Amino acid sequence: MSGKKLLEVKDLYTYYQTRLGEKIKAVNGVSFELKEGEILGIAGESGCGKSTLGISISGLFPPPLKYGKGSVKLGDVELTNINHSKLRKEILGKKISFIPQSAMNALNPTLKVKRFIVDLVKEHEPNLSEDEIIKRAAERFESLSLPKRVLDAYALELSGGMKQRTIVVISTMMNPEVVIADEPTSALDVSSQKIVIKLIRQLFEEKIIKSVIFITHDLPILRHIATKIAVMYAGEFVEVGTMEQVIFDPVHPYSNALMNSIIVPEKGIKGKKLPSIPGAPPDPRLEIQGCRFADRCPLADDECRKAPIEMREAKGRLVRCIKV
Amino acid sequence: MNPYFKYLSRKLFWYILTFFIAIFLNFFLPRLIPGNPVSAIISQMATGGVNSESLERLYESFMKEFGLDKPLPVQFINYIKNILKGDLGTSFSLFPKKVTSILGEALPWTIALQLPAILTGWIIGNLFGAIAAYKRGTFDKVLFPVALFVNSIPYYCLAIILLYIFGVYLEWFPIGGGYSRNLIPAFSWTFIKDVLHHYFLPYISIVLVAIGGQGIGMREMSIYELNTDYVLYSRLLGISDRKILKYVFRNAMLPQITGLALSLGTMVGGALVTEIVFSYPGVGSWLFNGIRQLDYPLIQGSTLIITLTVLVANFIIDIVYGIIDPRVKAAQLEER
Amino acid sequence: MKTLKLLFTSKKFVFGLCLFLTLLFLGLLFPVFNHKDPLDLAGFMYQPPSKEFWLGTDNFGRDVLVELIHGLKTSMFIGLLAGTVATLIGVGIGLTAGYIGGWVDNLLNTITNIFLVVPPFVILILISVSLQNRSLGIMGLIIGITSWPWTARAVRAQATSLRVREHIDLAKISGMGTFEIMLREVLPYIMSYIFMAFVLQVASGILNEAGISMLGLGPSNIVSLGTMLSWALLFEAVRTGAWWAFIPPALTIAFITFSLLFMSTGMDEIFNPRLRS
Repeated sequence: MSGKKLLEVKDLYTYYQTRLGEKIKAVNGVSFELKEGEILGIAGESGCGKSTLGISISGLFPPPLKYGKGSVKLGDVELTNINHSKLRKEILGKKISFIPQSAMNALNPTLKVKRFIVDLVKEHEPNLSEDEIIKRAAERFESLSLPKRVLDAYALELSGGMKQRTIVVISTMMNPEVVIADEPTSALDVSSQKIVIKLIRQLFEEKIIKSVIFITHDLPILRHIATKIAVMYAGEFVEVGTMEQVIFDPVHPYSNALMNSIIVPEKGIKGKKLPSIPGAPPDPRLEIQGCRFADRCPLADDECRKAPIEMREAKGRLVRCIKV
Repeated sequence: MNPYFKYLSRKLFWYILTFFIAIFLNFFLPRLIPGNPVSAIISQMATGGVNSESLERLYESFMKEFGLDKPLPVQFINYIKNILKGDLGTSFSLFPKKVTSILGEALPWTIALQLPAILTGWIIGNLFGAIAAYKRGTFDKVLFPVALFVNSIPYYCLAIILLYIFGVYLEWFPIGGGYSRNLIPAFSWTFIKDVLHHYFLPYISIVLVAIGGQGIGMREMSIYELNTDYVLYSRLLGISDRKILKYVFRNAMLPQITGLALSLGTMVGGALVTEIVFSYPGVGSWLFNGIRQLDYPLIQGSTLIITLTVLVANFIIDIVYGIIDPRVKAAQLEER
Repeated sequence: MKTLKLLFTSKKFVFGLCLFLTLLFLGLLFPVFNHKDPLDLAGFMYQPPSKEFWLGTDNFGRDVLVELIHGLKTSMFIGLLAGTVATLIGVGIGLTAGYIGGWVDNLLNTITNIFLVVPPFVILILISVSLQNRSLGIMGLIIGITSWPWTARAVRAQATSLRVREHIDLAKISGMGTFEIMLREVLPYIMSYIFMAFVLQVASGILNEAGISMLGLGPSNIVSLGTMLSWALLFEAVRTGAWWAFIPPALTIAFITFSLLFMSTGMDEIFNPRLRS
């Protein structure tokens, strides 16, 4: 897969600043490249920083999220220090777009869908008339098999699955190069999940979007969509490889555990995983000596806790472990 | 059935129910305490040196006149019958003037004062609150305590202070009344100018406090809305801050409208006492006079009128809200 | 009590609390040192502030400063009493309605809404007007009885959302009675809201007392901030320019309410994460 390099992230550090003055680490030194034609899946437990990574890449740092250091380059443009108005007009929604986690609440409850689309498109292409925009939206909806009535609806008139699909279409209206999808399937039932994944694939195959970052806690689901996978733990990547490598032959102990954790269908906790990994991620306020996963790792020993572990090549991919 | 119609009829039913309860309370509460108002009045008159025989006769005639000699349930039915006829009884202190005619003259003054004042306060307050929420920084840090302080001053306290400063000390405005004593009400420019001159201070005191209160509420709602998911999503899609502000204010306004309805009762109460400060010829002043003279029909008539006005205002606000907020229609659809 | 520590990081809360406590202690401690009776006729009517009378005298010739402090004490007492009563009733009704739900909720909700819309001030007037002897306690009680709906509504909203939490299910399974669950499982979670509601109810109690006293229905024979204002009005203090008779009580009412509202705003910012800057 040697497409054009679209996104380059180098040593990105971001954190949250609390009211009491504490610095809570979120993204702890993440680096990767995203090429045209790639679908990168980022998988990890809740709280590992993957959602924050998604937002950090956008260049928008909504408080209390703060930029630490590192670089995020979209093509030639450095996003971490870009002028805000340039970011908004040329990048957000147009070159990089976002499919948010809570699609349930992502739509303004008092705005009809078509109104919102008009606002969005007018922002990036001010010369189009309202009618033209609505026409374009209707065509896009139709080509992706979404009913036209959605355009005239308010957010709460749509079902969960329909809302999610609508969000996907809205986010890709401007044909962005990079789409960051943050847990787009997590709040859906299995059949809706399939439909949303199919939708994203369709957009990808029709070259409406050129690359995708698919963030999820559900590692197995990436089998249906990702080309490359990065497993994330406590703010950093612990394994990066092709989809086949990570799904069928995970190397890092954490990736292994993720792939094998059981889904327990208990009442009221639909789809939630009861991790079979004992323990919990480290306190994000503390400095950790050595490997962050050591306390929960079956392979860990004293050597692991001495110094921070770097990514190294093992079995044809990158792994952050000295024991494999 | 049209969901909106369902919403309206349900609301209407509830308001009528509330009105009847208000009538019930209006009638019974003052009568909970043993002893009756007539004896209180008669005893007041007794200190003026009227002989006991005439007092007895006065007492009896009062009782008959006000139907107080009949059993309570009968009195209540008569009361309701009269209300439906539009008769709120006869005033004790201004006998034989009818309460309805007294209040009928006073009500327009009250509405003319309170309606514009509350609306103006609401609009300006919301604007300030929204701007403060958006700008944060110094604008917010300075304005907020000021607004809070103004909101903490009861209407009538601010009224007294303003009356003193601008009426007595600076003598820019008259100190009381609806219009100057030497003028006869007419549609002349002189009269209207005079009325406005008298109108200004009470109007401003209500507006200022209302601004304080509304501003605080709107600021809170705006901050809340600014932190919602849909705002974040809109920003991530590159939508301009100006557009997003429009979204936020529209959405923050909605609970403000309900908030207005809820606080209407208190606002009206405070505004009424403001009338007293300025001897303004509205319902408030008559209520005050009624209380001082233990004129029960007048007191009850005033409270009933006040309650009715607040109920009507609430109902209108409910109607408007139902039209504006799409969530209301959707909720009705869901319940089918 | 991390919540308490968190609360004290709010400048607004601390400022409001300090101001309120200062006024409270002023009202409580002053009479201990100064034994003058506020109703004493100490001087001529409407004497302007002087070295003898720091705030002058009112229309009866009473020392305004002494009246002010006693009035402060009275108003605060009534406010606190009314606030307590209103909060207790409001929490009781709101908790029951929100937790139990169903027809109980509908009934209580309708009652609450009715007493919310019918101006509480009106009901207050109707009750007060027929009372012969209006003592401090009774005033506080009836103001509290007429202002609970607001708290009930807020508490009910909280209770409703808590009803579906997991620890409630656990409690139900372990055989806890409804009342016990409400007290031990739901109440602790909403304490912060109850505290906030209490602060606001006290503020409203003080304002209501002032208002009702202005109408002449205040506590009988006792000086309160509201009665001071009503005397000033009745006896032409404004017209004669005797500003010391009404500006101090008016400002004091404002300051008390201000301190309470400031406290509650601070609390709101802490307890309501969405409102943080």
